Amino acid sequence: MTIPTSATPPSAPRATLEIRHVSKAFPNVQALTDISLDVRAGEILAFMGENGAGKSTLLKIINGDYRMDSGTLLLDGRPISFSSPNDAHKAGIRVIYQEPEIIPGVDVAENIWVGELPKRFGLIDRRRLNEQVRRSLVEYGFDDILPMHLLGHELSSAQRQIVEIMRALKSGVRVLALDEPTSSLTDDEVERLFALVRRLRDMGVAIIYVSHRIKEILKLCDRVAILRDGHLIAVRPAAELTEAEIVRLMVGRELSDVFQRRPAASGREVLRVSGLNSHWHRDVSFHVNAGEVVGFAGLIGAGRTELAKVVFGELPKTSGRILLEGREVTIRRPDDAIAKGIGFAPEDRKREGLILIRSVLENSSLAILPRLSRFHFVRRHMERAIASEYVHKLRVRTPSLEQEAGKLSGGNQQKVVLARWLAAKPKVLILDEPTRGIDVGAKAEIYRLIDDLAGQGLGIMFISSELPEILGLSDRIYVMQNGRITGELSRAEASEEAVLALAMADQLSGSPAGTNQGSQECTRA
Amino acid sequence: MNWKATAQEHNGGLQRLVRFIGADNLSLLFALAVLIVLVTVVSGWFGLSGGEKFFSWQNLMNSLAQAIVIVGLLAVGETVVIVAGALDISVGSIASVGSVVSASVLVGVGTVGGLRILPTDNVLTAVMAGIIAGMVAGLINGLIITQLRVNPTIATLGTLAAFAGAAFLLAPDGKPIGVVTQTNFTWLAQGRFLSDLAIPPLAGSKWTGIPVLTVVFLVVTVLVHVVMSYTDFGRAIYAIGGNPTAARLAGINLARVRILMYVLSGGIAGLAGVLLAARTTSGNPVNGTGLELQAITAVFLGGAATSGGKGTIFGTFLAVILVGVLNNGMNLLGFNTFIQRVALGMLLVAAVAVSQWRQARAERARTQVAARG
Repeated sequence: MTIPTSATPPSAPRATLEIRHVSKAFPNVQALTDISLDVRAGEILAFMGENGAGKSTLLKIINGDYRMDSGTLLLDGRPISFSSPNDAHKAGIRVIYQEPEIIPGVDVAENIWVGELPKRFGLIDRRRLNEQVRRSLVEYGFDDILPMHLLGHELSSAQRQIVEIMRALKSGVRVLALDEPTSSLTDDEVERLFALVRRLRDMGVAIIYVSHRIKEILKLCDRVAILRDGHLIAVRPAAELTEAEIVRLMVGRELSDVFQRRPAASGREVLRVSGLNSHWHRDVSFHVNAGEVVGFAGLIGAGRTELAKVVFGELPKTSGRILLEGREVTIRRPDDAIAKGIGFAPEDRKREGLILIRSVLENSSLAILPRLSRFHFVRRHMERAIASEYVHKLRVRTPSLEQEAGKLSGGNQQKVVLARWLAAKPKVLILDEPTRGIDVGAKAEIYRLIDDLAGQGLGIMFISSELPEILGLSDRIYVMQNGRITGELSRAEASEEAVLALAMADQLSGSPAGTNQGSQECTRA
Repeated sequence: MNWKATAQEHNGGLQRLVRFIGADNLSLLFALAVLIVLVTVVSGWFGLSGGEKFFSWQNLMNSLAQAIVIVGLLAVGETVVIVAGALDISVGSIASVGSVVSASVLVGVGTVGGLRILPTDNVLTAVMAGIIAGMVAGLINGLIITQLRVNPTIATLGTLAAFAGAAFLLAPDGKPIGVVTQTNFTWLAQGRFLSDLAIPPLAGSKWTGIPVLTVVFLVVTVLVHVVMSYTDFGRAIYAIGGNPTAARLAGINLARVRILMYVLSGGIAGLAGVLLAARTTSGNPVNGTGLELQAITAVFLGGAATSGGKGTIFGTFLAVILVGVLNNGMNLLGFNTFIQRVALGMLLVAAVAVSQWRQARAERARTQVAARG
């Protein structure tokens, strides 16, 4: 894993921020391993990588949110260490997230100058404040899309980001990082943002740009740093890279160590969703057959979790039909969905899956209480028998059924959620990131379980952001992006490259005007 | 297999008893014992006569057993609400409404707001009227909270005032409705069960029997305990209090459970109001004023978590006795009512502080295990 020497030619401008041998571990995972990288004044450096590659962790270390386990950061050659984002801001380093903190009831000017408002006789000097803000907005060309009279809560995502950038400029920023800045912007807003970013670069600000959108990166950035599983894989000038090359570098993982599914004949259709629209989705249609594992791939924010919740009745749909075994059903709430034979193991098991302070027994029987009860009395012997059956079957490691669910390890907590849904005997089971945050051994057990369940005729909707497991387990894969299904791949067609290409299919390339533009402007003029 | 074996190994006789009572309740029993020792033995050292008076049938059966009933009922209903992670501050006012409604149905009060209420002279009808009035009030609470999405504390703070006002509007000219002549009704408070049992006198006072009031309280307590421990509704209450999102995603209809729970709490408060009318021999609109504070204190003292999901009816029952003994003891020792109020207020704060500390400790234990796992 050597960094190509071409990344640091002798004529390169001096590095503003030097990242030296930075590592960071979390309880279950090594998030970053020995990252060394220069961020130079007057250039735009892209961070790329799959979900979980370590981009966000690295940004959070630079921003003072996390402390690194080892390594050093040098700003203009001097070592720096931050204990909070505030420290980083003072030093001239600022990370701009998708949803910057904005004070709701306060106007644009005060939001920009928050904390250091110009004062006269102890009162806010409104005239000076407004004049300064107006001048800088005009200077950067944002006066027409960021009206000064707007209050914090009235601002769009784009406007919030501009406010945050203005805050950074006001305090003399040296290093500016933008995290997925364009994900909620319109094409026009994207163009203006790019113009601003280029301008900042030319002013000598060192810029880090994090995005999943390869076309944008190639269009805007000077160099690209690619991370994978916490390692820095490559740093290359954008001019030397192609889209295909970037995808190859991002993926580059052996597939052989992933659990493979036993081939099984899929049965008749159990779930069909057609023409579904919601706040999060545009015209989504898909189906799941009995005995089939259907993978839902896509980047974080593509709308997969929301799709599961809409089908399950937790989030509302605006139009579209849901059919179970060929019959149209109305699902208003999760209990409707459960009664009709749908189960849903949510992504965040601590917040949405388990009652952490109640027992394993109560957690595993929660979804079948109506069936367990006679005249509203829970038949306790039956409850205990069913709970212990699934707790055994899933090999949940717990001292007793009375153990508080919150005292189990992550993998065992996930198994308790699964035990609940197996006990409910659904026709369709929706699994949202079932292996997130659990150790390798438990992962393998869950893969085997998914395979078994499909073998027993269950239709499984399998949402995961880990490509290898999606590819290894799914009979069919739907790829989502921005609330739409951008493609369906059979097992034979599916590969990491094919999935990523559909997951990152840039919106710009979808519109006729953007297609050519994108490839032509790959390299910076 | 493995976990079954370890569970059985731990099932010693003493541990089984501790598990039956509950570790949290054990400390309540201990506190109760300390308090009784304080009232009896220590007061003797200082030459106060509280101890002699405390252990007399007159005091135990007539003062203590009756005093705890009303607050006890309210606390039992309140436990359900607090375990579900909510709060019902309006129970005192609901008791006032129940008290006025039952009395007016019993003796008739002429025309109230276009509705002619004739005397029924039927005790059962009067009792049912009080309970139903409480359930309606609870339904209003439940609808405001679930349909208008008002925070439970704020919603019931509002209805605390509104129901208190309604109790005055329901009574003609806002005056108490006397029921002193209705001996069948006042029997609810004055009546005694098992009064001819041959039980020896205690500290010179004769056995008087068990008050009807106390029996009603015990029956309601056992019923609600059964509902909380053995029914799907009880399970739903604990689940909602522990994590409402997870409960909903596991198929629990949050709105229905929450409405039912306020109806239950309201019905019990209505019954408490009926008993208040019997005891004070009048349906008085101020009968229930301020009782919610004592009820809520007892629930937290009984070990319920402020964030919901934890708490038992048995714990509340023990706490009700504890608060009763505390008040009773202070009466016997001659503390005035203002000091008693200060003590009760401090007790509420202390009970919640202990509950918070317990939660923080449990939280730490969980995160440590999770980090290891």
